[in-house]
Amino acid sequence: MEVIGKSVIRKDALDKVTGRAKYTHDFQSIPMLSGKMVISPYGHAKIVSIDTTDAWEIPGVRAILAGEHFPLTGEAIRDRPPLAVDKVRYHGEAVALVVADTPRIAKKAADLIRIQYELLPVVNSPTQAFQKDATLVHEHLGEYKKEEDSTPVPNSNIANHIKIRKGNMDQGWAKSTTVVEASFSFSPSDHVAMEPRCARAEIKHDGNIIIMTSSQAPFMVKRLIADYFGEEIGKIVVHTPYVGGGYGGKAPVQLEILAYLASKAVGGKPVEILNTREEDLISSPCHIGLDATVRLGADQNGKFHAAEISYWWDGGAYSDKAIDVTRSGAADCTGPYQIEHVWCDSYCMYTNHTYASPYRGFSHSELSFVIERTIDMLAQKLNIDPLEIRDINAIRPGNRTPTRVLLNRSNVGNLPKCIERVKELIRWDKGAILEVNPRFVRVKGVSTSWKTSTIDTDAPSGAILTFNRDGSINLMSGVIEIGTGTKTILAQILAERLKIDLDKIHVKMEVDTQTTPEHWKTVASRGTFMAGRAVLKAADDVIKQLKNIAAIVLRAPVEDLEVADSRVFLRDEPYTGVPFTDICYGYKYPNGESIGGQIIGRGNYILRNLTHMDQETGAGKPGPEWSVAAYAVEVEFDRRDYTYQILQACSVVDLGKVLNEKTALGQVMGAMNMGLAFAGRETFFYDELGRVMNPQLRTYRPLRYGEHPKYLVGFVETPQLDGPYGARGVGELGLMGMPGALGNALSLAAGVNLNNLPLTPELIWKAKGGSQ
Amino acid sequence: MLPFDFEYYRPQSLQEAVDLFQSLQRQGKQSMIFSGGTELLTLGRIDLAFTEAVIDIKDIPECNSLQVNEQRLLLGSALSLTKIEEANVFPLLTKISSGIADHTAREKITLGGNICARIFYREIVLPFLLADSQVLLSGPLGERIVSIHDVFQEELRVEPGEMLIQLAMESKYIRAPFYAFKRRQQWETGYPLITIAALKIDQRIRIAISGLCPFPFRSQEIEASINHKGRTIEARIDGALAVLPQPILADVEGSAEYRLFVLHNLLFDVLAALDQVQG
Repeated sequence: MEVIGKSVIRKDALDKVTGRAKYTHDFQSIPMLSGKMVISPYGHAKIVSIDTTDAWEIPGVRAILAGEHFPLTGEAIRDRPPLAVDKVRYHGEAVALVVADTPRIAKKAADLIRIQYELLPVVNSPTQAFQKDATLVHEHLGEYKKEEDSTPVPNSNIANHIKIRKGNMDQGWAKSTTVVEASFSFSPSDHVAMEPRCARAEIKHDGNIIIMTSSQAPFMVKRLIADYFGEEIGKIVVHTPYVGGGYGGKAPVQLEILAYLASKAVGGKPVEILNTREEDLISSPCHIGLDATVRLGADQNGKFHAAEISYWWDGGAYSDKAIDVTRSGAADCTGPYQIEHVWCDSYCMYTNHTYASPYRGFSHSELSFVIERTIDMLAQKLNIDPLEIRDINAIRPGNRTPTRVLLNRSNVGNLPKCIERVKELIRWDKGAILEVNPRFVRVKGVSTSWKTSTIDTDAPSGAILTFNRDGSINLMSGVIEIGTGTKTILAQILAERLKIDLDKIHVKMEVDTQTTPEHWKTVASRGTFMAGRAVLKAADDVIKQLKNIAAIVLRAPVEDLEVADSRVFLRDEPYTGVPFTDICYGYKYPNGESIGGQIIGRGNYILRNLTHMDQETGAGKPGPEWSVAAYAVEVEFDRRDYTYQILQACSVVDLGKVLNEKTALGQVMGAMNMGLAFAGRETFFYDELGRVMNPQLRTYRPLRYGEHPKYLVGFVETPQLDGPYGARGVGELGLMGMPGALGNALSLAAGVNLNNLPLTPELIWKAKGGSQ
Repeated sequence: MLPFDFEYYRPQSLQEAVDLFQSLQRQGKQSMIFSGGTELLTLGRIDLAFTEAVIDIKDIPECNSLQVNEQRLLLGSALSLTKIEEANVFPLLTKISSGIADHTAREKITLGGNICARIFYREIVLPFLLADSQVLLSGPLGERIVSIHDVFQEELRVEPGEMLIQLAMESKYIRAPFYAFKRRQQWETGYPLITIAALKIDQRIRIAISGLCPFPFRSQEIEASINHKGRTIEARIDGALAVLPQPILADVEGSAEYRLFVLHNLLFDVLAALDQVQG
């Protein structure tokens, strides 16, 4: 291997370090109208009246959309009006939309729209939503159009209920000599991608709808707008340039719909909607919250036998992607452990919070906190080393997942090996607790996690390769370059297979849905895996075509030919060959006659043998493979103030095969950084009216540079036989175990169970008895 | 993006600034003294600040003075916080300043701007309260020099049209033993849960606090209790906690009860640092 595994410089690096990379809002060449939302100041309220008179007085206002019944939207359940009608269901919900000549005029006019509300009782948590007499967020839940596998319960706040019924619980409890039970809760938070969401739309006179959006799912934008509004799908073209981070938050389709409606309202003129940071935090989909209870049983040797798990996901006001998160959370509900008897109820609950979207890890970081904290409680009760109990129960080939998929050496990573490596990196042999002095103590906490990507069973990916006259190759894939460097890795995969110089590969960064083959969505760490497979297939297609024409030119059978270094040559006489330049656009004989033609490579990939989960038992194969990782966090804890510093954080990820070490390290460390911020600081605070009290970066604070600990990252390479060069997804794993490891370290340090997030000093102080 | 237009003036002298203010007032225009502009920009874009005119004082020489000698320290109100930190003429001031916002913002945030800020922490005022500073104000009726305690109660209370030009203190405060700490909700960024600044002078500990109440303050009652010799440390702290100004903040940064817990420990740290030292 020559290119695979090397830390080659990313193809988008120069653009980004020189500040020349363009994101959606940066393309300002054509005159553009501006859309500005008016958002709800309350969590739950009846809209009594909307007065737009004063707003219309402002010169330059072209349209005001409000109070109109547009078709309902939403991915699994059509429960969301693009603009609220009759009532608002969350603080930040778009109620009206002004379209004006400039952003300033639009804002001015938006500020003059007077909306009268009548407050309604607020559903402020999924637990509250689950109560029998709870206020309903959706009164007509039974009437919505929905996908077959969504199971909303009319006259309740349950948008979806996924069940896992594996083994026999009575047997499981009978074998369990020790049982722990605990409840957990944390509020929604946000992704805080650096680029706020932005979408623009134009409807041309011929009916073509041109959209540009900072999206992880441009192909979904096209499909959904066609679906929702009865547009012809071929007339919708979606462009996505660089995207400045998404983390799942840019997978839902929201602003695109508003931009489309806005453009429609002004005769098809181009309209842009750019979120302010505040809107990006509370109006656009956020990071899901969770309430949970777990009962976990083990025998005296620490072997798990039974787990009963209830998850109440805070789906917010509209179900959208939360339905899938709920399903995914059920599918991997136990974390990466072999448990024979499992019972799980995973509910997607409607609340009066911002509706939820996937968040890096897609339910796995959230459930991992719940499971890993429970395991530490059990380990403590059994007096077993926390890493040892994890090793004893680690999922292994031959085990079955909660949805009963039989695991083998390829479809699951090597968790015991990850645990072993974490032990070394964090110096576990030195002990979990080191007393610095009576006030300060250094404590280590550990965790593990796993993940499969429960994506659509028919999710596609495709790649197209074309040649330039100099023999270099253009690579087109529908993967979005969202900051992960995936497109560079695709180039590496292609270079390796064609055995050519990486510089001979030109990657098309922008995606447009008309000319780029579809890649389902740039989510779920599937970019490298699925697009990588498509690229390999396209490379093979190119090799075949090159050899076919070279065989004629060289008068040799195809099977005697090799491709490398931008030429096709005889295997046993490498100096006899023909360069790409002579054949990639057809071969021309000295007399002018030509054969062959332009070589165009194509490749596609679709995940195989995925199935829906059974409605009653959850049995099914929801994802292709399970990645695993183990983690540790070391904190220095102040026993007097309950404050702490994170000294070290460690992740060991089984990524199958390291394709580009630097980008893999970057992905893991970046994810750890997010995970620690989610664990230690990031949350929305709600008041009794369901208002987000910290909708600004002044008071909502991701980790800043300089606040990070020392990162220790290790890789284990257990190839996934299906993956390109054995690679597994890596983008999410660094995050998923951080909340659990931090929670375990602090619970040990403080001597009290900490089952909420974020783990602030005040939370610890309260758990320790607070002012009592 | 600010959703409103405003007139922008950049006077070159104090007199010009005062005249401008009066002339704008006569025209019935709402005006704002402005230097770094961070509050107008960040609050204006979310409709929490509005003005029809700004008088940018950053070119006025007096507002940019920075003098230190054996007798006194004098600082102009338009000095940016980073400038004050780089000069590092008063270590306590440097320490408090470096905890405010972030470095990029402190390039713009000014001494006067932070003291007059709408966002109520106004932490930079704490060292000036401790040092019994003098304040130079300039307004339609001319200039006046007053004690900071006469014009700063919770916020700067001056006559209409009066501008904060300079602050000065005796040099002995610069060298006094001090203790300062900013406790946040979590880690190293964010507003104060509590910022405490203390120094010892003439054998007495002085304490000023931001973040406990919706205003910064220095309290004679708290200092009396903290300096009550002959009582145990714990009793002195309890005494201080019993005479706190009200209300105690309860917000997203923390509950009132938790703030009191934090304050208790911070007062302990102040005493540990300063009780036994000569000052």
